[in-house]
Amino acid sequence: MAVIIGNLHLGGLNTLFRFFISSFTPSLNSQVLQSAWNGLQVTFGFAILAWSLSLFLGVLLGLLGSYNLCSFFNISPVIATVIRRTLTVPRAIHEVLWGLLILQICGLSPWIALVAMTIPYTAHMARVFSEQIDNISLKELIAIKLTGSRNLESLITAITPKIIPIIATFGFYRLECAVRGATLLGIFGLGGIGTELQLSLMSLQFNQMWTSLWMLFISLFLLEKAIEWIQQPKFYINNTGVYTITFISSLIFSILISLLLLNYLGINFFEGLHFTPIHPPNFYRFIEAFKSLNWVQLILDTLILTFVASCIAIGLPPLIFMNVHSNIGQGIVSIILILLRLMPAPLVIILLLLSTTPSTSVVALALGLQNLGVLGRILRDNINKQGDQLFNSVLSTGATNSNAWLYGRFIQESISYLSYSIYRTDIILRETIVVGAVGGVGLGWQLQESLSSFAWEEVILISIVFVCITLIGESINEQMQKALLGIKRTNQFSMLKI
Amino acid sequence: MLYRRQNTYKIYQIIIVILGLILTSPFAKICVAKEKLIISAIPDQNPEKLNRLYSTLADELSNNLQIKVIYKPVINYQAAVSAFRTGSLDLVWFGGLTGVQARIQRPGSIVIAQRDIDSKFHSIFIANHKSGIKPISNLNGLKVLKGKRFTFGSESSTSGRLMPQHYLTKAKLKLSDFKGGVAGFSGSHDATIALVKSGSYDSGVLNEQVWEERLAQGRVDLKKVYPIWRTPPYVDYHWLAQPNLDKHLGKGFTRKLTNTFLSYDKSNPRQKIILELFGARSFVKAYAYQYEAIEDIGRKLGKIR
Amino acid sequence: MNSLIELNNVSLYNKSGIRLKGINISINCGEKIALIGSSGAGKTTLLKLANGTIFPTHGEVRFNGLSISKLTHKQRLKIGTLWQDLRLIEELSVCQNINAGALGRHNVTWSIANLITGININECSKYLRAANLPVSFLGRNIRDLSSGQKQRVAISRLLIQRPEIILADEPLSNLDQFLANKILNTLLSVNTDSTINTAKTCIISVHQLDVLQNFTRVIGIRSGQVVIDCDTTDLKDIDLRNLYN
Repeated sequence: MAVIIGNLHLGGLNTLFRFFISSFTPSLNSQVLQSAWNGLQVTFGFAILAWSLSLFLGVLLGLLGSYNLCSFFNISPVIATVIRRTLTVPRAIHEVLWGLLILQICGLSPWIALVAMTIPYTAHMARVFSEQIDNISLKELIAIKLTGSRNLESLITAITPKIIPIIATFGFYRLECAVRGATLLGIFGLGGIGTELQLSLMSLQFNQMWTSLWMLFISLFLLEKAIEWIQQPKFYINNTGVYTITFISSLIFSILISLLLLNYLGINFFEGLHFTPIHPPNFYRFIEAFKSLNWVQLILDTLILTFVASCIAIGLPPLIFMNVHSNIGQGIVSIILILLRLMPAPLVIILLLLSTTPSTSVVALALGLQNLGVLGRILRDNINKQGDQLFNSVLSTGATNSNAWLYGRFIQESISYLSYSIYRTDIILRETIVVGAVGGVGLGWQLQESLSSFAWEEVILISIVFVCITLIGESINEQMQKALLGIKRTNQFSMLKI
Repeated sequence: MLYRRQNTYKIYQIIIVILGLILTSPFAKICVAKEKLIISAIPDQNPEKLNRLYSTLADELSNNLQIKVIYKPVINYQAAVSAFRTGSLDLVWFGGLTGVQARIQRPGSIVIAQRDIDSKFHSIFIANHKSGIKPISNLNGLKVLKGKRFTFGSESSTSGRLMPQHYLTKAKLKLSDFKGGVAGFSGSHDATIALVKSGSYDSGVLNEQVWEERLAQGRVDLKKVYPIWRTPPYVDYHWLAQPNLDKHLGKGFTRKLTNTFLSYDKSNPRQKIILELFGARSFVKAYAYQYEAIEDIGRKLGKIR
Repeated sequence: MNSLIELNNVSLYNKSGIRLKGINISINCGEKIALIGSSGAGKTTLLKLANGTIFPTHGEVRFNGLSISKLTHKQRLKIGTLWQDLRLIEELSVCQNINAGALGRHNVTWSIANLITGININECSKYLRAANLPVSFLGRNIRDLSSGQKQRVAISRLLIQRPEIILADEPLSNLDQFLANKILNTLLSVNTDSTINTAKTCIISVHQLDVLQNFTRVIGIRSGQVVIDCDTTDLKDIDLRNLYN
């Protein structure tokens, strides 16, 4: 932050001003509106399809990858570990890269866009779910099991009510991510609102950009409100079964609607499959590629970038919520959070660059701000879910609002917030791919460069490094969690050897 | 009781049939025979202009060739090349570098046409008024950029990256000679102008056509950002077609396609719009050999492997 | 062979040291046992060993002559536990929680149906009334109940299981004197209506010494060791004083 303030200059104020003024005068040209509207529908259609697919697969893999359930079924935890470790590969590789890779082999086809989106989303959800399931206390499950019921029935009765809230928070929030992540559709010539946004960004047509931004803003705002409404605990508490069934049927219903909508918009799944084999990579060229890159510098830059961005994204939300209490203030914060999530990182980088000189911290700030929007939302959602008793009791001891918030609300959520933050660093690492504007920073940029040169050997090597960093990060994280919750975990294990 | 049960059974049957129809309807169109031309472009325009440009072009081409023409806006340079390689796109508007990359990956592809301006295309180096960089007269003058903050456009751009980097190398300037040890990549020509104008970068380079257009639109403040050098001419954008179009769409199709482009004329109102949106007076014949220099440079700079 | 649960020379160590040491208890069918001892003496641990939640470091626990770790779910159905922390599923309603005790007698479909709506209402109401809660509680959520009410829901869940032996960890702690007596009577199957057949055998850990006369046998634990094991009638004041000092 300090670096950025030091580098401030006023040269770009004019353009920045134009950007913000344009928000009042979005382009209302009928063609712009029409294509943005079409784009929005395509984006939502694909987002819903990719999201429901990844939700389904993610829950499944999440269950398989949880140590808790493995030990419950008396399966060796090695299997859970293997599943988790294998899932780092799809997670560490950016969806754009997946898209390009599948495109290389299969050609342009709408369902490939779907697959490319689903792969990393599934892996991400699976990880979140498996770790959240591991954080569930198994006491109730053990109690039910000991009444003499079989495994399956015990699981259904004791675990479903606990998983549903997790799906209700993390699962639904991923829908919004899927909407934002649908810029990928542009790669497959499917358009979508992300594509509109990217194109108007490239030409700095702020009026047209705001047309898409406003549309996206309004729809995401409505989506968020709708999700908030669905997430209310009153719906699933006491009512897990009905909630689950309603959920599943509305999922199927929306999949059908999306398929019909996309069909109506002229997108035919399974059209235009052109299977084309690629040349097997050449060993000699691998060595060449390995020698040609400055790995130490690249990895170091990437780590610093990820670290700084993570600090911004993880540290700020609690501070913000701690100090904003009035309803108006909270409203403003939630609008700012939506805006932060909405703005594509490249746009934020360019806006920041308009009044600062380029440096790594600009990129880190841009990445951090976007993820701040996401983490802030998760924290708020979780806190809204809890009751008021603890907060009020702390408040009644005469604590200030800020302190009461910290002790009465944040403490309850801190572990789940922190563990979610750690998954988020994965995403930040993956997103370092967008840092081109400042040039030459880290592995992400090098990946773009290698991709645009079709240097597949370099792409593969860089992806391997990404996977390795993610793997190392994950095992460090697991060690840390073990240290924090270790006693609890071992206890649960011994109880489960029934 | 039995009667009722049969009745519900029937309702179930109907529901299943309807569901099945809904589920299969997206795939119904697969069976339609393929008598269409899929065109695409690596776009560096705003969406509104793109929509106008390519919907008009698709209509006009379809009119000229008596065939269904579909435009697929593939916004990613690499994706456009890959999709061309797999044969998913029949005709693509490529830049110099991407066109060469596509031809290498899809041997036998046919260069159809280019704009009149593409045979003598230029990039333009620009500078911020505070940077103290003076306009230069020849290639060697580029040395003044040493120690300045400098930005290219997008990584795969011929005019915003490849050719400028080639001239910088010729002037014995390495990318590490810039301030910060790296050059930036603003992502687009317009962003380059904005970022150099703001002073975030001392200098940058972009497509001359875009620069001229923005000047004409009055969107450039020459007091804050001014051109310092224009590169020598090189070839850039072109239409590239699949090698097998004649086989799929009838003998002589490629020839017909080329002639259609060459025949576009400002006296026809629809063609006038197309030419204007392309920023050209006409399309001219283009040949693969024109791009050999680009290929050499691409190989030298590692953009073609 | 008529001993229901047998603890043979059972010891349990964990990180913080010895929890239980050299315990030899044999519980016969029909015995009503009061488990007493000051907090932290090892009552809960003993009950957990007896129901097979944890396994001893040395020695073995047998149920009906079988090692506790090798019971089938049908056999497990015969052991009912009332946990000190109750272990109700907070997200579910009272009715669903009570039914959770009867899962062993039903199949998967039944367990799913239980999640979707309240089923088995009649049986649930019966056991709820036996635990001294009005039927109107069936639809309530566990989170909205007081701790005493939760305790009684947990007891209903225990009763619906129809266990042969009840292991209850401080079932009276959250209840007032009047309720405590009623609940104790229910657990010990005294004065209850005949449609509810509670277990003939039970081990109940208690803090209130005035209820001891309701039991047939008293086991006292101090620092992980059994110091009292006698019929209630043989219990001496001096032993009790020793136990709590």
